[in-house]
Amino acid sequence: MLVGKSMTSKVITIDKNESLFTARELMRKNNIRHLPVVDGENRPVGIVTDRDLRSAMPYRIYRNPDTAQAESERIAKLKVSDIMTADPVTIPLTYTIQDALLLIQEKRFGAFPVVDDEGKLVGMISVRDLLRAFINVLGIGEPGSLIGILVEEKVGQLKRIVDVVTEENISFGSVLVARYGEKGKRAVFPYLLTNNVIRVKKRLQEIGFKLIDPMDWYIDQLNR
Amino acid sequence: MKKTGFLFDERYLIHDTGPYHPEVSDRLLAAYQGIKKAGLLEKLVLFKGVRVDLKWVEEVHDPAYIARFGDACVAGKKEMDTPDCQMCAETYEIALLAVGGILEALRRMMEGEIDNAFCPVRPPGHHAERSRAMGFCYFNNIAIAARYLQKEWRIGRVGIVDFDVHHGNGTQHLFEDDPTVFYYSIHEHPSFAFPGTGREFEEGVGAGTGYTKNSPVLPGQGDDEYRRLIKRDLIPAFETFRPEIILVSTGFDAHEDDEMADMRVTTEGFNWIMETIVGLADTYAGGRLVSILEGGYSLQRLPELVGNHVRILLGDPPGALQNNG
Repeated sequence: MLVGKSMTSKVITIDKNESLFTARELMRKNNIRHLPVVDGENRPVGIVTDRDLRSAMPYRIYRNPDTAQAESERIAKLKVSDIMTADPVTIPLTYTIQDALLLIQEKRFGAFPVVDDEGKLVGMISVRDLLRAFINVLGIGEPGSLIGILVEEKVGQLKRIVDVVTEENISFGSVLVARYGEKGKRAVFPYLLTNNVIRVKKRLQEIGFKLIDPMDWYIDQLNR
Repeated sequence: MKKTGFLFDERYLIHDTGPYHPEVSDRLLAAYQGIKKAGLLEKLVLFKGVRVDLKWVEEVHDPAYIARFGDACVAGKKEMDTPDCQMCAETYEIALLAVGGILEALRRMMEGEIDNAFCPVRPPGHHAERSRAMGFCYFNNIAIAARYLQKEWRIGRVGIVDFDVHHGNGTQHLFEDDPTVFYYSIHEHPSFAFPGTGREFEEGVGAGTGYTKNSPVLPGQGDDEYRRLIKRDLIPAFETFRPEIILVSTGFDAHEDDEMADMRVTTEGFNWIMETIVGLADTYAGGRLVSILEGGYSLQRLPELVGNHVRILLGDPPGALQNNG
């Protein structure tokens, strides 16, 4: 689960002396929203985002004929270094996806430059890359059925579930264990690679598990 | 009253899914009993399955996949691609008889012998992909039927309605880039139920964009939600598309007493759904419609559901429909 495996390695970069128009064109052409700014040795010295560009060259100024000319000239003189975020937060290749997820949540950034031991840029990891990894982890690209099981928060519960599923000759796509509103309870969500859930549901109930009504499923109990 | 064909062939019972599998031969016997008990058997044009010419199967499936399926049966393999697809030595031949029976129904309809038909076949088909067996399905019966209509009978626009509780991933994928086949499916939301496709934003690709429509239904919903979504999504779509023939993937597993899924559709709800689809066929397709069985696992409910289904195809007075219990 290292970011090196999930990041985009073919990075488009820009020099800090380039114009904003060049930056905008690069983003548009490559369908990206974060452009790392590097020095002569490929070390990140800044990052410029589509949002930085939008605030630097707001559309409305072009609509006013009295100021359009002056504004255009002003913007034409601006360089990437004038609007970029300098000294961006970078993350090393050895960070995990979990590290990146927590950092994105904490810093509220959409992407991070990834650097090697010498601090040179080797990739970008974005929310989009992490989503792709998360879709893969959840297994939702594969055909299967999700069931929700309420369990006591104590050792050995998952084993009982796995035993029943295995005895029914069903493979797992993924298993999520989530906090549950009720104290001392956990919600377990096995994603089963089968169409055939009648018997496995029955057997889980027979050994005392409660199935959670699908409309009451939730996995998001974090503070926003 | 319409002339309705009924494909019934005891050989469809031979496909053996082993112990503990819900897709069992008793389903077809329950369907037959339902038709018989409703006193409809004499009103139907009965016919049997015939082995399909492989060229029609190859319209939809990769020849290597077809051969792999046949070889697996001959070799005595008990499953194909997934533990969901349990089978026996005869499954390949029975699957060919199922497809052939459906094409026989279409031929009879095109030649004017019948107006519409009900084809309760096994194995079912709508999960089968071009090169992959899935969800109890091996050959995509309804997809082959659509291609047969287009190639053999020069039908331009085929409308497919799939009300099995699971999304027909195979059918959607086979036609998603094709503007001549409209695929509409209403099913339990894919975040809760197999197979995980059929989301609202899946609307076809390339030239087929706009010719796929999905109505995912959240768990626990029933007749009202089905009515609302069919009125909102299917009816206007077919008003624009104007299918020349309607093919139906009929599944009864959204019934409130079916344990396969989490829906609460009642017997009356299924009546409304089928009456609506037959109404669309009458409006746009000269009544031409063939219904092909997919899922539905409640052996207690299948007789009444199938009895009503066939009565609606016949156009018998709706007062004669049975209700729950």
